[in-house]
Amino acid sequence: MKARYLILFLLVALLGGFALAGGKYPMAEVVKALASQSVGDARAWSSTLKEMTPLLLCGIGVFAALRAGLFNIGIEGQFMIGALASAVVGVNAPAGPVGALLALGAGCMAGALWAAPAGWIRAYRGGHEVITTIMLNQVAGHLSLDLLKGTFQAPKSSFPTTSDVPESSLLPMILGTPQFSLGLLLGLGLLAGTWVWFKRTVRGFEHEAVGANPKAATLAGVDPKRVLFRSMCMSGAIGGLGGAIQVLAYERRAYEAFSSGYGFDSLGVALLAGGNPLFVAPAALAFGALKAGISGVAAIYETPKGVGLLLLGLTLVVFAALRYRRDALREAA
Amino acid sequence: MSFAVQMNGITKRFGSVEALTNVDLGVEKGTIHALIGENGAGKTTLMNVLYGRFPATEGTFTVDGQELRFKNSAEAIRAGIGMVSQHYAIIPELSCLQNLILGAEPSWTLSLTQLKKRATELAQRMGFSFDWDAEAATLSPAAAQKLEILKLLWREARIMILDEPTAMLSPQDSDALFASLRELAAQGATVIVVTHRLPEVLEHCIRATVLRGGKKVGDIEVKDANPAILAEMIVGHAVAAPSERHHAANAPLLEVKNLVAKDYRGFPTLDGVSFEVRAGEVLGLAGVDGSGQRELFATLMGAQKPESGSVSFEGRDIARLTTRQRLAMGIAWVPEDRHEEAIVEGWSLIDNAALGAQDRPPFARGPWALAEPRREAAQAMAEQFSTKHGGLDRPIADLSGGNQQRFVNGRALAGHPKLLLAFQPARGLDIEATRRFYEALYSACKLGAAALVVSFDLDELLAYCDRIVVANRGKIRNAASKERQEVGRLMVASE
Repeated sequence: MKARYLILFLLVALLGGFALAGGKYPMAEVVKALASQSVGDARAWSSTLKEMTPLLLCGIGVFAALRAGLFNIGIEGQFMIGALASAVVGVNAPAGPVGALLALGAGCMAGALWAAPAGWIRAYRGGHEVITTIMLNQVAGHLSLDLLKGTFQAPKSSFPTTSDVPESSLLPMILGTPQFSLGLLLGLGLLAGTWVWFKRTVRGFEHEAVGANPKAATLAGVDPKRVLFRSMCMSGAIGGLGGAIQVLAYERRAYEAFSSGYGFDSLGVALLAGGNPLFVAPAALAFGALKAGISGVAAIYETPKGVGLLLLGLTLVVFAALRYRRDALREAA
Repeated sequence: MSFAVQMNGITKRFGSVEALTNVDLGVEKGTIHALIGENGAGKTTLMNVLYGRFPATEGTFTVDGQELRFKNSAEAIRAGIGMVSQHYAIIPELSCLQNLILGAEPSWTLSLTQLKKRATELAQRMGFSFDWDAEAATLSPAAAQKLEILKLLWREARIMILDEPTAMLSPQDSDALFASLRELAAQGATVIVVTHRLPEVLEHCIRATVLRGGKKVGDIEVKDANPAILAEMIVGHAVAAPSERHHAANAPLLEVKNLVAKDYRGFPTLDGVSFEVRAGEVLGLAGVDGSGQRELFATLMGAQKPESGSVSFEGRDIARLTTRQRLAMGIAWVPEDRHEEAIVEGWSLIDNAALGAQDRPPFARGPWALAEPRREAAQAMAEQFSTKHGGLDRPIADLSGGNQQRFVNGRALAGHPKLLLAFQPARGLDIEATRRFYEALYSACKLGAAALVVSFDLDELLAYCDRIVVANRGKIRNAASKERQEVGRLMVASE
């Protein structure tokens, strides 16, 4: 297993190197910079951990839906809507821990509600969740932009953004060097909770049964429709919570193009994690490091953003080839 | 005599496990040859060697006198060998014609009219008829079996291997199948039938080869054999007859009255069904496949809503209860489709052990799922009917079909249900395992439980059930006696 990941890393480095060489960038230096900008020093670690936080939250969300057999591509929209709701509540609620809790709750609720139609259509009408969640992503993008330019726009601002959440409602850093936010800790706590849910509760067991074999689950007394609906809402709630944490831990507000594609990247995170919820953390860390490293490199060498995406994409493809190889071998046997 | 197939000294090892040890097999040309033995005796493994699925570790074989060695099944097919596996290789979304020619298309471009003409000719030769444009999903198990045989003929197989061909068929369909096989044999084809149904060996086959524990026990001319001799060769010792059963006529445990169910097109699948299962009895439900058994089970398990009628269990109307509520009341089941309905194939035996009782003790305390009782239960379930497995935490998909069935049967009885609904519980089980299952059922019945057993193997029901009711086109009738003729007549009667 571990050898596989090493191979993976080397392959990505090699293929990425070729891509960079093709673009006439100094390959060795860029790769070195990629490492130093992601894990090289405390400052690099700070940005890696920052990138990791939304990826972790959204990754857990995608993972939860995936275990019920649902592919929640809508996590991006749920993240955005959650962020918006939490920023609005955070701005207007009394400042302090109560405000923070209300803002987190609002993010959760908004994410769950945003995912609910997709879950309901899938469970009770048979409409495929990939289609509906993609459409809901579009709606989320346009709706939030509209609200940010109108109802929720910060007074006196000319940009589509909310006001800042008061300082005392924010999630503080619990470590200074490197910076480690309470938000990330919340995410890790949620991850542990997810593990407990799947491995130690009846509902979690039934959730996985529906994902693995809905017919057998039915005859074991489970109502798969209810489970599908519930798991989609759960996934949306976690995505929304991700948005809320992003606001309260890092951004202080919601604004246009708030997410740099965290929702989509987290699909890769969940895929990378495979069947065990605990693997979502290292997967999010790896993705976070890559993302941090890439933006660091882009700042120095002015590499286009596409190169970064290329590296992320390569990681996934190579990983999928390694991971699904086992399944293919089993099928063949 | 001339041999179509001669296998000499075949040994097959999987890792450290020896599945076959020095097995010889000689099959005469133009005959139906039976290959019999218990689960895990190596029958299917031996046939897979012949069919080129994997090579033998040691040993050689000749086909029509020529020594051959196949790298894969494609080579075996080219040499004129065809095999129908226990699980049909039919793609439900494709049409019957597409299934027939798939992988053996005669040319790059296909003329539908010509293909249909050829297909129809082929079918007529066997006395079959097919709607070639119909989706294969609509085929009954018997028709699917026929299509599988036509697939072999389409590929011009001269040697046909059929693995448990009658496992899913009614007696009538089985007889019809063997009639076709005899016809084929008369035309010069050679048929090897892997089975553990002794009546069909005695009635239809010429010679039989018996395997036990990966070794050949012997060859026998069927005309010299009888059930007792064969059973003893298979098991290695004389088989005890089912123990004598005396059960008092107790109060009804399950009462079904005027149950009506319809399929999605509105056709009645259950047409006013009434019967009762009394405490302490094993009630057999006989019938040709597709007579409403499936729908009855779906309704009793709560997976399908009846149109009208009542189902009462222990005097309480359960027709509107959910599946979960029924399970909690002490009704358990062995569903028909092992892979799709009974187990989660990718899960371990341990996790599968809790399926169906996951929300109740011992597997749950409140909302918490407990891991340790699951392991213990899996251990006990596997032991009850000697499920062979490579570790309780290994995926259940790794088990052979018969062993999965043993485990599922053990699980159904583990919770001490008051009522067991069992759909083909002996599917893939050998004589000894079948007897053990029913013995376990009897002990449960002694304590007041009852069972409703569906099987397409009438002999099994006649041998083991206390009473038999017969499903026929959505209706259920009581058989006046447990006589083969009587029950058989009710199964196919048009009124």
